[in-house]
Amino acid sequence: MLLAVVQPWPEGKQPADGELMERVLRRDASALETLYDRYGRPVYSLVLRIAQQPASAEEIVQDVFLQLWKSADRFQASRGALAPWLFTMARNRALDFLRLKGEKQRRREDSQEDDFPEPAIARPDAEGAIDLSRRAEKVRALMSSLPDGQRKAIELAYFEGMSHSEIAASMGEPLGTVKSWIRGGLLRLRESLKEARS
Amino acid sequence: MECEQLAAFYEEYALGVLEGEERAEMEAHLARGCERCTAGATEARRVVSNLALAAPEAQLPSGLRGKIMEPVRLSAAARAGAPPVNTAAKREVFPAWAWIAAAALALITGYAIRQMGNQNSQLAALQKQMKLAIAQNVALQNQLDESRMVASVMLSPDSTALKLMPKDKNMPMVHAYLHPHMGVAITADQMPAMPSARTLQLWFMPKQGAPMSVAIFHPDANGVIALVAPVKMPVAEIAALAVTEEPAGGSPQPTSAPAWMAAMN
Repeated sequence: MLLAVVQPWPEGKQPADGELMERVLRRDASALETLYDRYGRPVYSLVLRIAQQPASAEEIVQDVFLQLWKSADRFQASRGALAPWLFTMARNRALDFLRLKGEKQRRREDSQEDDFPEPAIARPDAEGAIDLSRRAEKVRALMSSLPDGQRKAIELAYFEGMSHSEIAASMGEPLGTVKSWIRGGLLRLRESLKEARS
Repeated sequence: MECEQLAAFYEEYALGVLEGEERAEMEAHLARGCERCTAGATEARRVVSNLALAAPEAQLPSGLRGKIMEPVRLSAAARAGAPPVNTAAKREVFPAWAWIAAAALALITGYAIRQMGNQNSQLAALQKQMKLAIAQNVALQNQLDESRMVASVMLSPDSTALKLMPKDKNMPMVHAYLHPHMGVAITADQMPAMPSARTLQLWFMPKQGAPMSVAIFHPDANGVIALVAPVKMPVAEIAALAVTEEPAGGSPQPTSAPAWMAAMN
């Protein structure tokens, strides 16, 4: 009976996220492993960027994927794609960790210098996750094209969970400027992703 | 604000930077169930989540796959062994087969040798069943450990018992037992099933500062909640405990009014 569930897919054809989540719901461990192969690295990279401690990042990612296994019924493919759901869950967990550890305050005090350790460069996926790679390229290209202040404001918001006024205080910029930077940056992100899809 | 005005804030809301009146208006509007703005906010969440891909690519730790997949495989194996077995039917069939096999073994040696092949298959099947039973036992043991932890916190004389009163009087009460070192145990039963896109989130409301997320959880299939979460701030600094309903995956800060709440004495 288990063998009937754990069917390998035809070579070269990767199952869609929704299909894998249906198999996860049927308690097919290999489906979760495929999702880990697909999203493990971007999720770990995100969590490491926020938590900045490899051991803690590993624990958080472990927790995220085990939560995905335990709460697969909470994901409904009809409500949207898996990646946003997974990234949002990972981001929230990592930001929770920052708050719990009081790291946020310490890092704000130290943020005169960008002391984020340079992570090891990962090898690209052998196959699959093409859409993810394309989107990653788009997002990175967009972020590099933004003026320093605007990019920093968006990074503080997304990776450190700061609000408008916290960012303004941290950067020593007027609140209106920060709002305008973030709104403009997000608009460009939306347009850039729209182009990538078309 | 109307939908047209709120539409300008969807992405900022999804990013979590909105505050004050703008955030309150957005939340109140979404709480009223506006379909257009709910769809807009969902799409904005999708767009904003792509910022995750701006993080520098890091190499996955080599042992992480095993740490995730080991308990998952164990749980899958336990589940595979879980479907109920009609033991009564088995009892009826097995003795007949056993007696026939035994009689055949006693009467014809050659037949017995042939039967050994079948017995080996049976043995392999039994070994497989035994492995599944062990895996199932481990999963049950984990559940039992969690229940024991809950019971330990509940029964400790150093725990403070709190009743989190529901905002909706038709909802059951949630009980919390706060122990400064062992953690906070949360229990409830007869909880209604939750929509799949929502989750419950427990918060410590400190005397000063922003709420601190403690745990994300859902009632099980029987409507029961029983969990223990660590207490990562001095108990003396906690003014109240609150449970809010949040989007799946939880929120960095509460996005709705507490559905259950209890003040510390």
